[in-house]
Amino acid sequence: MAEYSRIATGTVTSNGGATNVILPFTPNYIQIINTTEITANAGGVTQAQWFSDMGQGAAAYVTTTSGTNASLFTTTGGFSIVQAGLSLQYGPVYQHTGSTDFSISKANPAEITTTTAHGLVSGNVVIFQNLYETSTTGMPQISGIPFVVTVIDSTHFTIPWNTNQTNYTAFNTATSTGNIGSWKQVLYPSLYVPGEAVISALTLGATTTVVTTAPHNFVVGQEVAFRIPTVWGPTQLNSLPDNTIPGQPIYGYVTSVTNSTTVVVNIISTGYTAFNTNQPVTGVKGLTFPQIVAVGDNNSGSNQFGYNSPTVYNGTGTTAVSTINGPAIAGAYINATYQGFIIGATISGTAADVIYYQAILSDLNM
Amino acid sequence: MRDYIVSAASTLNAGGGSNGDNPTNLGVSDFSLVATTLDTNNAYKFMSGIEGMDRFGTGPVRSAYFMLSSTELQSDFDGLTGSGFLNQWNYPNNSSALPSEYGSVFNVRILTSSEAAVARGASANGQDVYYNTTVGKQAVTHINQDGYSMQLIYRDPYYSGMLAQNATLAVKFAQAQAITQDTAIRNLLSTRLSNLGV
Repeated sequence: MAEYSRIATGTVTSNGGATNVILPFTPNYIQIINTTEITANAGGVTQAQWFSDMGQGAAAYVTTTSGTNASLFTTTGGFSIVQAGLSLQYGPVYQHTGSTDFSISKANPAEITTTTAHGLVSGNVVIFQNLYETSTTGMPQISGIPFVVTVIDSTHFTIPWNTNQTNYTAFNTATSTGNIGSWKQVLYPSLYVPGEAVISALTLGATTTVVTTAPHNFVVGQEVAFRIPTVWGPTQLNSLPDNTIPGQPIYGYVTSVTNSTTVVVNIISTGYTAFNTNQPVTGVKGLTFPQIVAVGDNNSGSNQFGYNSPTVYNGTGTTAVSTINGPAIAGAYINATYQGFIIGATISGTAADVIYYQAILSDLNM
Repeated sequence: MRDYIVSAASTLNAGGGSNGDNPTNLGVSDFSLVATTLDTNNAYKFMSGIEGMDRFGTGPVRSAYFMLSSTELQSDFDGLTGSGFLNQWNYPNNSSALPSEYGSVFNVRILTSSEAAVARGASANGQDVYYNTTVGKQAVTHINQDGYSMQLIYRDPYYSGMLAQNATLAVKFAQAQAITQDTAIRNLLSTRLSNLGV
């Protein structure tokens, strides 16, 4: 009799790279069938299996070409389980080694080129460190900011920041002094949402359009506040002080959500100081980033009129996914922690592939 | 609760230290900055302060906000002795100090824990970033749902399975976290100046 076993089945759409499947448990056996690749019949991975004893990242898989199957095994890029419960966790560091380097262009948006496959998918979030080309040049202004990436191909991706400005110079770990510079993936950027988000662009006017560097997870009706240090420009947006009603914070409401990183807020900002991301390298020490934060009594994105689980951009792709933790209550934050498994890049096929899965957590593993 | 505060509260990067990073290590001006920010935002302080007494080596403690920091920063705090830091043992009367209280700087009383949030290698220069969460009295709360807070559940083997081979132990709570006043909380981010012990 099964006392603790769990079995889950379902479908997931591949994002062309590491693809997450969120479950209420972490399995020790996984099987997938990729019907898109079966139909294509052109050499793609059509099915794969994994037992936990194979090790993280392993998979036994089958490719099918013109009706002929080939059985293969990999120790990397296969299946792995995930338990996303702690913030501030990072992936491997990508930096200068004997065989790897990366560069950041002076462009809007900035484009990153890696000399080997970066392994990211669009929607992943990364941070950078040590972006000094020399002691006084480079792009250290963006170090430490979480950026959502848009993948161009296996060695190129962009981040939502304008580095095509006078205070930025192109960066390359192959030429930087001491070959310093690195980036790494933020594994779980949205465990509790909505959170604070760094602002990469502001359009002022009759309403205020805010672009964030990583998913904001705001919804229409969300009450928000701004934290704009003086060097970034429009400090008039800051929640305090309110010159009209002293002691009363200035807040705004989200009136529309353009996409995962852009919202429109109902603050009339016409005539405010222009937003300025052209920060000098000399000002990096102690530089606080401009932020937008969720505030108020309905800061969860919860549906006050129903009990649907909220959806969250959790850094694993470009679509919002339902949490496994049920609905939040108004005024509280969404607990978007999750667990499940990852279909690695070796076996996840191409973007938009339809993958059927069965995942099992068995009673005993002898 | 720690992780949701890390995710949801706005941040200030320390700039008063000397290590040239972003954020820098903590300088005394950073304690002034975060306390001034909370004061300007009309946050409530927790303590009414500790009055000075005629005891050698002690000094009065101001009414203060609480800051939760990592134990890994304790040597940095010690380095600020003489320029603003007062160790808890040098309070005129430490009977009102909390067990985890390490000391105070100006209007901030520091609690340290090995479980405080740290982002490893996340500063501009690739050093560890410490989340020194500073709160006023009205900043955060948790909401208990369905009228109960937490249940510790234990079922002995007889009730946990037909063969009475396994017991069950679990904790269940219907609880949600909320920041009740966003202007009364700041994550003061810093790096570290001193070496880390092993």
